[in-house]
Amino acid sequence: MKKISIIASMIAGAFIITLAPAKSQAQQGVTKLNIGYNVASPLGSFKDEVGKTSFRGWTASVLYGVTDKISVGLGTGYQDFYEKHPRSTYKLVEGGDVSAVVSNSIQVVPILATGQYNFIPNGVVQPYAGVGVGGNIVFYRQFLGEFSNSKTKFGFAVRPEAGVYIPFGKNSRTGITVNANYNYMPFDYNGVKQLSNWGGGVGVKFPIE
Amino acid sequence: MKNLFLTIGIAASSMLVLAGCTKDPLDQLNEEESRIYITNRDDSANFSSYTTFSVADSVAVISNGKLEKKSLTDVDKGFINAVKVQLQAKGYTMVSKDAKPDLGINISRIYNTYSGVVSYPDYWGGYYGVWDPFYWGYPGYGYGWGGYYGVYSIKEGALSIDALDLKNAEKDDKIKGIWNGLIRGSGIFNAGAADSQIKALFDQSAYFKRS
Repeated sequence: MKKISIIASMIAGAFIITLAPAKSQAQQGVTKLNIGYNVASPLGSFKDEVGKTSFRGWTASVLYGVTDKISVGLGTGYQDFYEKHPRSTYKLVEGGDVSAVVSNSIQVVPILATGQYNFIPNGVVQPYAGVGVGGNIVFYRQFLGEFSNSKTKFGFAVRPEAGVYIPFGKNSRTGITVNANYNYMPFDYNGVKQLSNWGGGVGVKFPIE
Repeated sequence: MKNLFLTIGIAASSMLVLAGCTKDPLDQLNEEESRIYITNRDDSANFSSYTTFSVADSVAVISNGKLEKKSLTDVDKGFINAVKVQLQAKGYTMVSKDAKPDLGINISRIYNTYSGVVSYPDYWGGYYGVWDPFYWGYPGYGYGWGGYYGVYSIKEGALSIDALDLKNAEKDDKIKGIWNGLIRGSGIFNAGAADSQIKALFDQSAYFKRS
């Protein structure tokens, strides 16, 4: 599955770690991996398909510190949206009626060129803001009862994000992150016009070489 | 060293989380929710113009497009009785098949082991070989297809109910199907499930009534 291999290759990169003692928290020249759990809530017309908040998701990014404050790199993530609607009767396009329990199951995997700005690079708590722009892989399935119709589509995604990075200690280059994000995800299939959502989560951030 | 262990630990737990990260819709469905009920009608049929009906006294078992046998298990009886109850509730009068009923009802269990597909154009094409028009008193007649169509995948089997216009058969020179109910999904042939399933088909066919 595409999404597993993306994160696997990023985690594999994290296996090679510098063991040099950290002199300071300066982030210039350091590449860090940030991986975290993500909760997301559908917005706008997306709520007609799936109205329920998704507690099944994660985000990940690999960012290189260009300066102490600015880092750039690649971000990705995964979110599973699912809702089962109560039995209802619908008109079939070709004529006739169908009574069914409709289940919508949509997974999104954005792949984003990402930049972040860290406001207080040496602080105890380091607020940051960032944005990612790129593509979106959408796995779409709609079930009528146990019968499904599925489609994989590619779209566009923009993810602005804000949060805080809290290092574990004064000289540590590892810490936790807490963030909120908004995902702008246009879409067009089967009457679904967009998959935009907002949410946030908690993660860990640590250097990789 | 600590960093290395931290990284490996995070990586490993991440992989486990990723693997279990999608809700499988099929796991969230019970048998009743897995089923879908499809009804089709001939738009030109006038359902209030019929008075009497008769239901075929056994259920056809159609396997891979061919009649395998006529059957009357307890499950089959359950479906036949449920259809009788629904049509009487809709204002039609039940008569024996020799009393020239306006409507004839055929019930079939359909299984397709190799293609897993029911194609209604094929279904009606082969209908003559399954439901001999001689049964309804019209030997040598062909069947007319109600104008509806569809190709459906089935897994465990499907239940199909056809309402046939016998009243106008002589005038049209063929027996036309004017209504079809199709049930697809799991647990269709469980004893005791017949009443609610047949009721669902007729509930969504409000046009199908005597008056």
